[in-house]
Amino acid sequence: MAEEIRAEMVANVWKVVVAEGDAVSAGDTLVILESMKMEIPVLVETPGTVSALHVAEGDVVQEGDVLAVIE
Amino acid sequence: MTAAPVAPAKPVVPREEDPRNPRRRLTALFDEGSLELITAEDDSGMLAGIGRIEGATSVAFCSDATIQGGAMGKAGCQVILTAYERALAEGAPVLGLWHSGGARLREGVVSLHAVGEVFAIMTRASGKVPQISVVLGPAAGGAAYGPALTDVVILGPEGRVFVTGPDVVRSVTGEDVDSLRLGGPEPHGRRSGVVHVVTDTQEAAYTEARRLAALLGDQREIGEVEDRDLSDFLPESAKRAYDVHPIVESLLDEATSLELHPKWAPNVTTTLGRLGGRTVGVIANNPLRLGGCLDSASAEKAARFVRMCDAFGVPMVVVVDVPGYLPGVGQEWDGVVRRGAKLLHAFAEATVPRVTLVTRKAYGGAYIAMNSRSLGATKVFAWPGAEVAVMGAVAAVRILHRRRLAELAADVRGEVEVELAAEHEQLAGGVARAQEIGVVDEMIEPAHTRSAIAAAIAAAPQTRGNHGNIPL
Repeated sequence: MAEEIRAEMVANVWKVVVAEGDAVSAGDTLVILESMKMEIPVLVETPGTVSALHVAEGDVVQEGDVLAVIE
Repeated sequence: MTAAPVAPAKPVVPREEDPRNPRRRLTALFDEGSLELITAEDDSGMLAGIGRIEGATSVAFCSDATIQGGAMGKAGCQVILTAYERALAEGAPVLGLWHSGGARLREGVVSLHAVGEVFAIMTRASGKVPQISVVLGPAAGGAAYGPALTDVVILGPEGRVFVTGPDVVRSVTGEDVDSLRLGGPEPHGRRSGVVHVVTDTQEAAYTEARRLAALLGDQREIGEVEDRDLSDFLPESAKRAYDVHPIVESLLDEATSLELHPKWAPNVTTTLGRLGGRTVGVIANNPLRLGGCLDSASAEKAARFVRMCDAFGVPMVVVVDVPGYLPGVGQEWDGVVRRGAKLLHAFAEATVPRVTLVTRKAYGGAYIAMNSRSLGATKVFAWPGAEVAVMGAVAAVRILHRRRLAELAADVRGEVEVELAAEHEQLAGGVARAQEIGVVDEMIEPAHTRSAIAAAIAAAPQTRGNHGNIPL
């Protein structure tokens, strides 16, 4: 089942840690956002494969934007 | 508040062996062999008993889902009233096991009136004895608001909570939704905040209910506390967000923590557990979610927890690492001012011992809200390097020295900013300055934090608030 990972808040995409096709397990960092002057890692909740990555470093994301899809 | 018709599954097994038999359910909840029924096993649709949970006296009632889907009539509601009167007389926790379609249609307004009396006694008992609800099956209409009025709601895997069931929703609004999506673990655990604890099995639901009854009903005295270093859980970079759970769990005695609302408003965590054997409540910002900002939902969640702890005399530990209130249109329209005010009110009115620990930073309005000195904290501790300020130093000098910085060439601006920030920090942000003003009492090492907090709690008068616990 596909799981969409969404941004919880407005942020800059500071670092993208994974690539499409990567296998990820719970607790892995997908991307690191920058917001409220903090670096906030976005973590995997359920293990799977990164089937789509919708952001690149330097992008600005809004609350609710899909960052990645994990299958 | 008429119940949604929930079709009762016809029992194919004798009542005695039916897993929904309320005596079986009550037996599973209490310590082995301790259940003593206090109402008759009849067709009222409800059964109540008294017994022990982890050795402590507790009272419980249970819907009888084998009769009319557990619907509540006058007689069934009287069973709940009996349970509450007994719990109030004993000063014991009262637990409700729910599996009910709501008020009995056949009894008409008589049943509505009776359900209203249940709500009234629950409200009268609020803040006096701990009330814990375990939702084992569908709990609709009156059976939804019953649990909602209590202190903690646990949802088992078959538990569903809604005002009106899927059939009524479909016929009235045309929305096609199943009971899982309408009122199951996902919506109530993550979105609505109706449910505090979600469990995968019915057994786990009983286990968590028993742990809660013991934590709230048998709080014990504070004893020896072993120290351990809590700094290992902070990342090296002060800018990096991290998960606060390991800090909270290490602060508490091993394997005693029980988190409420773990998935709803996760940017603040609310956890019951023991410190030196004594029950305490921990409120902590979680930087991993929303950077640890307070927002309308998390302020409301924390406020309700604070008021519950205060009402039952549970001392609080407040772990602070907060960059501020979450800015934005969404938040303002969501009532962050009104809902954030609940947290200020909750802390300011609390009379239990409540100790604050600033681990990294406490900025702005959120600094005040997280049990600051001005709101009446028993003690405020800070780890070395922590910052207490209106905002981060760089952000502050960018406002204070906007013109001067704008006049500088771009290549030197950064350098000057850093210098000004260091100066500003001396003046306004460091722990030393905070101690001077008296808003931080003491700087403590992460390795001595447990014993320092325990000592501060033990030294304070063991009081409790004189108020109910409205489900904020």
